[in-house]
Amino acid sequence: MMARAPRNPVGLGAEPDLNGSVLDLRTYNPLVKVLGPIAAMVVAIGSRDLLTPALFAALALALLLVGGRLAVRTLGGLLLGVTTLVAVMTVSFGIWTDPAQVDHTHALLRLGPLTLWSGALETGLATGLRVAAVVLLALLSGLTTHGADLVRSMIAQLRVPYRIGYAGLAALRFVPRFAQELDTIRSAHRVRGLSGGRGPVAGVRRYAGYAIPLLAGGIRHADRVSLSMESRGFGAYPSRTERRHIPFRLRDGVLVVLLLAAAPLVPLLVHHLTGGTP
Amino acid sequence: MTFTTRFLMACAAIGAATGVLLIPANFAAFSVSATVPLAYAPMLGLWLIGPVVALAVLRRPGSAVLTMFVAGVISTPTPAGPSAIVTCLMVGVALELGFLVTRYRIWRPWLFQLTALVFTALYALSAYAAFNIATMSVPVQVIFFALMFASQVAFTALGLVVARRLIATGVARGIAPARRVVATEG
Repeated sequence: MMARAPRNPVGLGAEPDLNGSVLDLRTYNPLVKVLGPIAAMVVAIGSRDLLTPALFAALALALLLVGGRLAVRTLGGLLLGVTTLVAVMTVSFGIWTDPAQVDHTHALLRLGPLTLWSGALETGLATGLRVAAVVLLALLSGLTTHGADLVRSMIAQLRVPYRIGYAGLAALRFVPRFAQELDTIRSAHRVRGLSGGRGPVAGVRRYAGYAIPLLAGGIRHADRVSLSMESRGFGAYPSRTERRHIPFRLRDGVLVVLLLAAAPLVPLLVHHLTGGTP
Repeated sequence: MTFTTRFLMACAAIGAATGVLLIPANFAAFSVSATVPLAYAPMLGLWLIGPVVALAVLRRPGSAVLTMFVAGVISTPTPAGPSAIVTCLMVGVALELGFLVTRYRIWRPWLFQLTALVFTALYALSAYAAFNIATMSVPVQVIFFALMFASQVAFTALGLVVARRLIATGVARGIAPARRVVATEG
């Protein structure tokens, strides 16, 4: 397979090299990166203060900065995106907050019937930090894992039946085909004069008209693929050998312990820092 | 239970289409949930189309779970990352439940809607915690959940229309259990 630029972090680009340094998150087992942060996400969603989600977000960001090996553009987008997200959510959720719950705090801004309370902004900031923490924890895997590698490690470590896993791998190859198929269908519709007029409504109707032939074509293609797979002996044996191995090494064990330990330790630390008063 | 390769690949095809739909949906949900949480509620239905189409067309146990597994694999290049697989699998399992309880014998539209309704109710509970909806005023809360349920009903109905048209093309013949046999037996 041709080596492609690693700019495309997931999806159809080339899979990353797994034999790199311990400081490279891309070399870790995909399952650890996907399932490990879930406990921390649940704790972050359940929190109501500011410090707990901020610490989770900082932890995830630190891991990404040290081990993510991100391209400059991705990194810039990430930092800018997260900052904007928190800022926008602080204001927007601050506006949605019920004023009756916060009208004992300072009024910062009055715009006609709307009053922006400092307590409402604090609630909004907490919500923004919670969402940022969850997104950053999800991006630990999102920016460092190839979808196909995740499927391979599900087969190797989670013992997902390989025939089901291969449905996922085959689907990754279906996507570019869908794009080609869509071109064909559009040309076919155009040559038959099925324009349906101009404007947004006609546009939506036109795209709805592509959906059925696209899906039907996809299923017909799937039929042919399944015939060709079976004729090559796919599924004849209970197990199969893989060209690309996804190992579970010591580093994966360390990372999963670290991520799982963070879930109870961060709230404990917050409790310690604030002396029990939220 | 063994799945035929043909069934698995049909799920992969529907799942790939769902995944392609969910990639922009994930980005939109991400930015919309940040600015206008009310606008996030009607997007819920987008996650229901895939499993509804798969179940209604293929009519076999596991279609929703397999389709959403594939959709999750496809929609990894989003803000949700590979955890999209976990989200998608939860939707798939939830939509499978109503049909599992009726032992995959009833395929009426009301069962699709009922199953989707149970999922929406469960999802509403988790959204309640994630967006801290308890802090919003009561009318906003009511609109939020009303939009969510309206979106579920509309998108499930849309999924059923798509499924009916797909069945009319004949692609499910040989994958879905033959319906004539059941009619003559009964």
